[in-house]
This record gives sequence, C-alpha cells and structure tokens, in this order.
Amino acid sequence: MMTQTPTPNITYNKTDEPSTLDVSVGPQHPGSGHVRLLMRVDGDYIVSIDPDIGYVHRGCEKIAEYRTAVSSIPHLERPCIIDAIHLNWAYVLPIEELQGVVVPPRGNYICTIAAEMNRIMSHLYWLAINAGVFSGHTTIFMWAFGDRDLFIELAEWLTGARLTYSFIPPGGPRRDLPFGFEERLTKLLDYFERRLVEYDRIFFRNPLVIARAKGVGILKREDAIKLGVTGPVLRGSGVKYDVRKLEPYGAYQELEFEIPSYEEGDSYARFLVRFEEMKQSIHIIRQALKKMPKGPIARKAPLIIPEGEAIGRVESSRGELMYMVQGDNSDKPYRVKIMNGSFRNLIAMPALIRNVHIADMPIIYGSLDYWPVEADR
Amino acid sequence: MILEEMYEGVKHIFKKTFTMKYPYEKVLLPKGFRGRHLLYLEKCTGCGICAWICPERCISMVPITDNKEYYQNPEKRFPQYWYARCCFCHFCTDYCPTGALDYTPDYELAEYDRNLLLWSPERLSKPPTNIGQYKSTFHGTNGSRGVTYQPASSKPTQRATSNDS
Amino acid sequence: MNQATPTREEVLISQLKNRFPEAVKEGKVDRARYVTLTFEKDHLLEIAEFMRNEMVFDHVKGIAGVDYPAHKKIEVLYFIGSFSKAEIEDLVVVLKTELPRETAVIASVTSIWPSSHFFERETFEMFGVKFEGHPDMRKLLTLDNWEGPPPMLKDVKFPEIGQR
Repeated sequence: MMTQTPTPNITYNKTDEPSTLDVSVGPQHPGSGHVRLLMRVDGDYIVSIDPDIGYVHRGCEKIAEYRTAVSSIPHLERPCIIDAIHLNWAYVLPIEELQGVVVPPRGNYICTIAAEMNRIMSHLYWLAINAGVFSGHTTIFMWAFGDRDLFIELAEWLTGARLTYSFIPPGGPRRDLPFGFEERLTKLLDYFERRLVEYDRIFFRNPLVIARAKGVGILKREDAIKLGVTGPVLRGSGVKYDVRKLEPYGAYQELEFEIPSYEEGDSYARFLVRFEEMKQSIHIIRQALKKMPKGPIARKAPLIIPEGEAIGRVESSRGELMYMVQGDNSDKPYRVKIMNGSFRNLIAMPALIRNVHIADMPIIYGSLDYWPVEADR
Repeated sequence: MILEEMYEGVKHIFKKTFTMKYPYEKVLLPKGFRGRHLLYLEKCTGCGICAWICPERCISMVPITDNKEYYQNPEKRFPQYWYARCCFCHFCTDYCPTGALDYTPDYELAEYDRNLLLWSPERLSKPPTNIGQYKSTFHGTNGSRGVTYQPASSKPTQRATSNDS
Repeated sequence: MNQATPTREEVLISQLKNRFPEAVKEGKVDRARYVTLTFEKDHLLEIAEFMRNEMVFDHVKGIAGVDYPAHKKIEVLYFIGSFSKAEIEDLVVVLKTELPRETAVIASVTSIWPSSHFFERETFEMFGVKFEGHPDMRKLLTLDNWEGPPPMLKDVKFPEIGQR
C-alpha cells in the first residue's frame, strides 16, 4: 500500500491581496519557442505562476492524418527540430511494427549513432541557452554553440542537411556512413572530451552558477513521481528511469552505458545530469563504431498501414517520447497521438516556481529544458 | 580554486581567431548536400512519384512551354518546383525510379520577386553556375591543436553536382 | 511442466478482472510490455484507486482521444506507468473506454493521479470531452477566442491547399 504524501500545489492563487501584482512574462521567445507565463508577484517573490501555452500550436496530430507515413516525417520532426532523429524514430517504430518490417542490424547501429550525436547536440543547445544565457553566462553560450557546429557539420556529411534530417523512413535509414566518417567522428569525440573538462571548469564549478542554482527549485522524489515528470528532470530527483534500458530499441541491447542520477533534486542536480549524459553519449558512440556489423542498412517497407494500434517509445533528450499510431488499412494513419517529454514536464513549472525570488525563475525554467514547440505540437 | 576557472577563460585572449570572409570564401560542402534539385530531362518519364511523395505538395507536373525543341513528346510532363514551400527533404530525389533528380550544393535561391521562386523544368535542368568560383575552406579537429581551418585549395574546388567526384 | 507460468501481463489482467468482474470488459496483450484493457466508464475512479494503491501504478503518461463518427463514439485512452515498483517499471498499461459522441462526460482522475492535469485539459479542448471534477477546465492550446467546434473531431476538415 502506497502512503499518500500531500500533492504539490499547482493552482494559480486567485486571491486579490493589495500587495500582489499580475505580471505577464511574454508572449516571447526565450531561446526555444513562444511561451507566456502569468506570474503573481508580491514584491520580489513570485507567489504562483500560470503557464499560458499554445502560441506555437500547429495541429501536428491533425495534419498527420492527412499525409502518408513517409510524407509526414518532415512535419513530425519539426516540433523539436534540434532533436529531430528521436522524433523521427519514435514515429517510425510503431509503423514498422504494424507493417512487420524488421530493420537490419547495421541500420539500427547507424540510427543509434545518429541519435546519440543528436542528444549531444541538443544538450549543447540546452547548455548554451537554457543554462548559459538565462543565468547570464554568455561565454558558455559561445563555446557550446561553436562545438555544436562541429557536430552539425558531421551530421551534414551523414544525412545531407544541417538540422532537418528526415533520415529514417520506415524500413531503415536513408544513407550509409560515408567513407572516412569513422575517423573524423573519432577525432571529434577526442576533442570534445577535452572540451567537456573546460566546460566543467568554466561553468559547472563556477561559484556564481553554483550560488544561483544550488538549492533552487527542489523537486523531491515523491513529488517527481506523483507529477509524472520525465527525462533529466526525473533523474535529477533520484529516480533511475531510462527507456533505453527498460525497453531497448535500435542497438541499445548490445551497448553498455550508465544512467546518471542525482538525489538532491535541485536545479544544479538537473544541470549535472545533462552534463553526465553527454559523457555517456560519447561512450555509446565509441562502442557503436567498434561493434558495427556489415550488411544492408534498410528494407523495403510497404505503403499501406495495416489495421491495428501500436506504440513506439524512445528516450529523447527531454524525456520519454511515445507515439501511438492507429492504422486502418489505407496509406494514411487514422490517428497519431504524440506524448512528449516537454508536455509532461510542464506540470513541474507551477509546482516549482512558487514562493521563489524573481531571479530564480529563469534558472528553474532553464533547468526543466522546456521546449514550447514540442509541448504545443 | 577560483584562479583555475579564471585562467580557463583568460587563456583564450591569446589564441588566434578565424573569420571566413563569406561570400568570397565559402564552406566546402560534402557530396550529397541537400540543396536545390537538378533535373535530367532525358531520364524523366513524367510518372509523378515526386509530386505524390512531396510532404509540402510543392511539385506539380507541367508540360515544357519555353523550349519547344527539347522534348520528343508534346504531351510529356515534367516536374515544376515551388521553392517557397520546399523543405529540402529530397524524398523526391530518393524515390525517383529513373534517377532523374539529383542533389546540388546550391543554396542561394533568394529572389526579389516571389514569382521567380516557381522553377520551371527548363530552369531546373541547368546545373548551378554560381558555385566553384571562389576559394573554399573546411575545418576539422586535429589532435591537440583543437579546431583547425585550412583552405581546400587556392583554385575553385566546389563540385557542381554530386555526381562529379 | 506443460503449462508455462503466466507472464506479468497476464497476472495483471487476471488481477484486475477478478477484482472488477463487471467493470473490466476485456484485456489483451498485443506484444510484450503493453497491456490494453477495456472498461466501463462509470467505474473509472474505483479502478484508478485500486491501481494506484494496490498495484503501485503511480503516474499517467498521456491521455488520448480517438473519434469514430461511423460508430458514433469517442474513445479515451489512458496510458499508465509506474516509477516506484521495479517489477512493473517497464510496463505501459492502456485503459480504454468508450463514450457516446454527443454527450461525452467522464470523471476526472486528477484527484488520484495529479499528473493528468494538463492532458485532460487538452482532451477537453480537442474532442469536447468533459471531465467532471477537474479543478481548472479551460482551453489550453487553441486561441483564446476560438469559438468553433473541437478541432480534432473528424467533422472538421483540414483545409488542403496544394497545387494538385
């Protein structure tokens, strides 16, 4: 029997005390998408917050009912474009399951390498903007974007595009690794490991960042479980939950890696979880390059989606990403439902930003890594 | 210790900077870069698979009207691209059964007049001319020296299409 | 032994069927780790209470609505998971129920699973399903002055602007 601790409060207080003021933060684009936060402020303290989302809602689920499976891949990878491989892969997994297509092992390894490179790129973007610029640290903004560009150039060599890959149609990836890709990627990973040491010195051990982020926005373990958050937010509160270990997809069954998690649950712990995840991604890519088998990379997939319902789960940079696809024996799906990490973490915002200073709000918002376009779809 | 962190930032003052003087120097793009499309008129059969697969519905099949000696069959249709909507996914290039479409490293498609973004099949069949005229550079990571920049060569090196080596 | 030991998914289905014989209509396991259960909508709160307390399923991953105008029903799907119990950590339980299309009303589970707060708001707005007992039922994603029908219903056609 589970003992019931009190639920964290997520309501927007509606009392009309004369000392409080309603301040609207937005609608503006804090680095990643349009969002508006309605804050109730009492002096320097934020009493409560009401996230007003929906500024980037484009009806992705409705559009997906009007496009064939291959044609909707560019639409469905645009919600979180810096994490495009994961959104693409999570849509293709249930379609392959309904159609009965099995991707050959080499194709799985290529998708895994691309996905882990994408995770590093997404965490570098987070480090630059959500952790760097929001706390005023513009040096890490310059450095992280510069290093991210090196990964983008490699992805451009692999897929042909810098950011909008559309790399995985049903059946397997579109292109094989070019000749010389492994050497250049290995050199880049060696260089990046040295850079992570420099990041640690200039940002994560910076006394100003520690003073701003340690002890701020503490999400206790029971609250994290009740609110149903996911991704690094959950792992920063002490719950070791990662879809790559629980339900291995791609090539993760044969690769060894660890899941970093910290017990404190404050913003600094969430920062460190993503930092450690970057190191684990380097480790995964190195193993995958060594173990990659030879052979075909893709199989032909039929055009019709048979009748049935299937679910595909991956671990994207922001959390657990699930797509449910229902087919009805035509080339267009009947219903596509997207459940992503940003929308699930949205409930942590009114729970954490309560009775804090105004200056703590960007730090908590940045540590949650909320991507508005993904949450609104 | 705080001096260690400060040294980390200060040592970058003494490093050399690099500036790539675009548009006189451009980045050397890899083979298979997804720029605009190149149409081979002899190979196209007018099947329309590119128009069917396009996610943005930006391709439509039209007869050639501005070069009457080019085609053998006056009822034959060729794709016409509306580049204001194209997302450069190149599903059309991959799914073409005869290989009549190709990648080019041409990304400078801006126009002053919006109607010029509708590319006729004739215009699509000409290889790009504005590339390969300037010095190209590329950068890579090199051992202990970090990121290095070097000119690919002093002569123009950019490939016109991905089929040239 | 001729008979294999029942898997976790089958144990789960039989446990729920024994406890609520009239509410749980059928349960099936399409593939490993996914259990789909169809139930009557009036018994939602009892089933949710039992799943949270006895079986330790502690959060909702998402709530989806599916519109079937041909059968005149709207289906609501709840995706339930568990973080606390290690034996069922990788399972996803899908609870399905049917609502009549004209008067789609169902009880809200926010008192049992607080993680379903925003998902119920979105399903209310997109399909017109009313959740009774939800503390804050208002529009989430569409415009503030949107007066039209719920957008995800199949009556609302997506305007296709294309060259062909």
